[in-house]
Amino acid sequence: MNGLRVERTSLQHFDWVLAGLVVVLAVMGLVNLVSAAASGVEGGSDIVGRQTTAMALAAFVIAVVVLIDYRHYDRFAYVLYGGTIGLLLLTLAVAEETRGARAWLFSGRFQPSEVAKIGMILALARWFGRNPPASIRRLRDLFVPGVIVAIPVALIIAQKDLGVAVLTLLIGLTLLPLVNVPLRAWLGIAALGAAGLVVLWTYGLKPYQQERILGFLDPSRDPLASGYQQTQSKIAVGSGGLFGTGWQEGTQTQLRFLPTQHTDFAFSVLAEEWGFVGSVAVLAVYAALLFWGLLIARNSKDGFGAVLAIGLVGMLLWPATINVAMVLGLAPVIGVPLPLFSYGGSALLSTAIAIGLLLNVSMRRYVF
Amino acid sequence: MNDPFGDARLSNTGDGPGEIRLWPVVLLILAIFGLFVGRLFQLQILEGEALLGRSRINSVRQVQLEAQRGAIVDREGRTIAASRPAYGVGVVPNDVRNPWRTYSVLGAILERDPRELASAVGQPRDRTRFQPVSLSKDLGLEARAKVAAHRYALPGVELQQKPLREYVFGPLAAQMLGTIGEIAAGELEQPRFEGYRSGEIVGKTGIEASEEGHLRGRAGGVNMVVDVAGREIEELDRVEPTPGGRLVLALDLDLQQAAEDAFVVEDPAQPDLERRMGALVALDPRNGDVLAMVSSPAFDPNAFAGGVDHETWRSLNQDEWRPLRNRAIAGVYPPGSTYKAIVAAAGLAEGVIDSTTIVPCYGSFRLGRRTYRCWKRGGHGPVDLERAIAGSCDVYFYELGNKLGVEKLAHYARLFGLGHATGVALRGEVDGLVPTPEWKLRVRGERWVDGETISLSIGQGANLTTPIQLAVAYATIANGGRVIVPRIVLRRETWDGRVVEEIAPEFRAENVISPAILQLVTNGLRRVVMEADGTGRRARVPGIEVAGKSGTTQVVSLDLVENLEPEEIPLRYRDHALFAAFAPVESPEIVVVAVGEHAGGGGGAIAAPMVQKVLARYFEKKEQQVPTQVATIAMAEPVDRTRARATTRVVGASGGTATRGFDAGALP
Repeated sequence: MNGLRVERTSLQHFDWVLAGLVVVLAVMGLVNLVSAAASGVEGGSDIVGRQTTAMALAAFVIAVVVLIDYRHYDRFAYVLYGGTIGLLLLTLAVAEETRGARAWLFSGRFQPSEVAKIGMILALARWFGRNPPASIRRLRDLFVPGVIVAIPVALIIAQKDLGVAVLTLLIGLTLLPLVNVPLRAWLGIAALGAAGLVVLWTYGLKPYQQERILGFLDPSRDPLASGYQQTQSKIAVGSGGLFGTGWQEGTQTQLRFLPTQHTDFAFSVLAEEWGFVGSVAVLAVYAALLFWGLLIARNSKDGFGAVLAIGLVGMLLWPATINVAMVLGLAPVIGVPLPLFSYGGSALLSTAIAIGLLLNVSMRRYVF
Repeated sequence: MNDPFGDARLSNTGDGPGEIRLWPVVLLILAIFGLFVGRLFQLQILEGEALLGRSRINSVRQVQLEAQRGAIVDREGRTIAASRPAYGVGVVPNDVRNPWRTYSVLGAILERDPRELASAVGQPRDRTRFQPVSLSKDLGLEARAKVAAHRYALPGVELQQKPLREYVFGPLAAQMLGTIGEIAAGELEQPRFEGYRSGEIVGKTGIEASEEGHLRGRAGGVNMVVDVAGREIEELDRVEPTPGGRLVLALDLDLQQAAEDAFVVEDPAQPDLERRMGALVALDPRNGDVLAMVSSPAFDPNAFAGGVDHETWRSLNQDEWRPLRNRAIAGVYPPGSTYKAIVAAAGLAEGVIDSTTIVPCYGSFRLGRRTYRCWKRGGHGPVDLERAIAGSCDVYFYELGNKLGVEKLAHYARLFGLGHATGVALRGEVDGLVPTPEWKLRVRGERWVDGETISLSIGQGANLTTPIQLAVAYATIANGGRVIVPRIVLRRETWDGRVVEEIAPEFRAENVISPAILQLVTNGLRRVVMEADGTGRRARVPGIEVAGKSGTTQVVSLDLVENLEPEEIPLRYRDHALFAAFAPVESPEIVVVAVGEHAGGGGGAIAAPMVQKVLARYFEKKEQQVPTQVATIAMAEPVDRTRARATTRVVGASGGTATRGFDAGALP
């Protein structure tokens, strides 16, 4: 093991910008949560306290992840990956069905698919660290990373947790632009993707999920189910106008016309009460965070760190994209929270690990 | 191996994206966030106003506050119909958590089948799932307390308060008061219902309909902020409803009650017949005040107050004897011998007879080859006008009618107000019929036969009058020739008793016939009641001179029923019994007409006692009231104190002429 000397040097390079962006987002999310909770949503004022506790825990997780040199994660990447796959299998075996999915352990408190995403990113980073993406010119060279992605995605589909499965797949796909395969290979991937979608639609989706997607494509189909939620969300966002209705003043939020406003539709609350200015501000902080993550990738001293950072950026990007697109009526209603912003402890844990890893790669950019 | 990570290193040293291609990811992020900002711009800036409007519609609900319908009171201020707050129970389908429990508890409280309640509420999926479904509109005190106690244990169950119409005396004056009901789709389009909303309660018949504009009041409203479940969060603004106006009728409850009682049959021979069918009208001949109006059979208008159920409606509507119809204004009967007073007046006015003209009655009258019999087989002997009226001598009137001719008969019938609606402010009044040759040719396409004129002279034939028409005709005799328009409403007041409008007495025509002639007719009518063997002797009231005339009218030709015992004759073939009277003879104050429909007896035997009950009550009350006149005036006008005091002073000053004081109150 490297000595503490290294650690001390690294701490001098602590990435205050990334940490600052994370804190800003989290605080904004908390302020927003206070308003969403004030409407008397289920759980009440309790959820603000719970979220604060979860955030303190997240800070601790970040600290632990940061303190271990990320090259150890490289070394144990496949082991960690295997471990998370094991957890997925265990979940499949023992978990009870909750909300239609068999995706939770410890009576709904822990979602193994969340850490499985990180395991997958670590494994991909290790593989690409040894097989530089730029050197990959044939599709068949992507067999191993393909398998690394396919296993957790398949297991998560088996858990009937569609949203997370799609997310995991998207995170894996984030790395594709890095490789140097020719155009026809891309077409091949697209064809495979389309076939995958058909299979997913037929076998992977439950009727209510199919309904949701159809309802999104044609909101008049069922204006009271998922279409209703989306309509209410659009009304909330729109009634925010330029400067918003003011904190705790949004009628859509306070009168609970917004569904699951503290989790999946937290961004609607923000858009209603803080308007265009507030929403763009939060999106800007988010974009800054993602670009900062890419900068960390560029400045990384090794391939593992670079690919890891890109994977982690994907891990933050895709749920945010799906969530905001859903809130703005651009995507069907899929229960995906906005990372760092929405209420929810389980998702916060994996996000904290991701932030910790990013900080880790960033502060060790001068190490060797 | 001091560098365990050596093999993991990239050849690239990190300066630029040469080995790691970052620009696609950068572009992707820019595209996604650019799309989001664009979409936010579209929703918040471009469509912001519209969506803000929709959020208001979402959260602000307009709730109508129903105005309490105005009270209807009698001439002395006694409440006949009023509205009171009623508590109903409703269920908001969306909020029901445990349907089985909810409906079984409610079922126990309402004493209804839980399954029936559940199916009444149903499981709507659209927005109506936030709207309460009413299960009962009028809970008793106990049920209300039970619902209130269970409310928090049963989410979705709520108490609703709404005004409910109440007719204090049930079926009393039912057809005159009329019914209310939800406005019909067709009515909403009519100009007189401009500004009404669907679901609103409106007067359908009777006074409720004719006075709709006054009784309705003005609905208020609340703009209420509601949450997604429709629960009230806060009130933005509120406009209180203005209760409907109070309506003071000319009706006298005491007389009305007496009139209603007059229809009760206490005949051991007919134990199954509890109430007579028919109508009764009592008028004040001086001003047209409708003091009592009965139509029998009746119904309980309370059945309509909370929305009539289908079963009740059907049975009332399809009943052979039409209880919903107001026979006093819409029932037509041949006037029979009551018509003779008009024929007499016509003869005197035309100079065909005078009071001394004698006609010998030998029991029959011949015209051409036909013989018309007098009801008295042996004949009345030689009769003058007074005796002809008193004895109801048919031959005298055959002779008179024949001389007058059908046109003159019709002319005078119309003068007295027959043959056209009296103009009483109630909907559904009919014209009746005064037949003429022109009418017969037009309607039946047949020529008039002289024999028909003979039938007309005694009120038979095609003659049809309504009870109120007959009352108006007799009022014209009683008041010296003024054809009154019956007055239903004395006064319109605001809900808190300020006078809005006094309804002045109205006369359709004045001096239609000379008072001297009417005096002669009255002399005959007086003898009908006051003479020892007068046909109307059963209408006598002790101490009061009463004038009147009975009438018995056949419904079918005699040979259909001739050989049957009276109780064997089917109800629909039995005779109508009529009696028309006024009193006191010297200065008439009240006219009463009673019709016993298919009563199966003579007017003198059946209708005269009915009239008598009303007259007796009237004069009995008058006698009691003399010492308490002042108090009555003060009661009749409870708010307009200055006026009441002024009237009191006048009464006091004029040396206790209480009658004058009463008149001053009734005829401002």
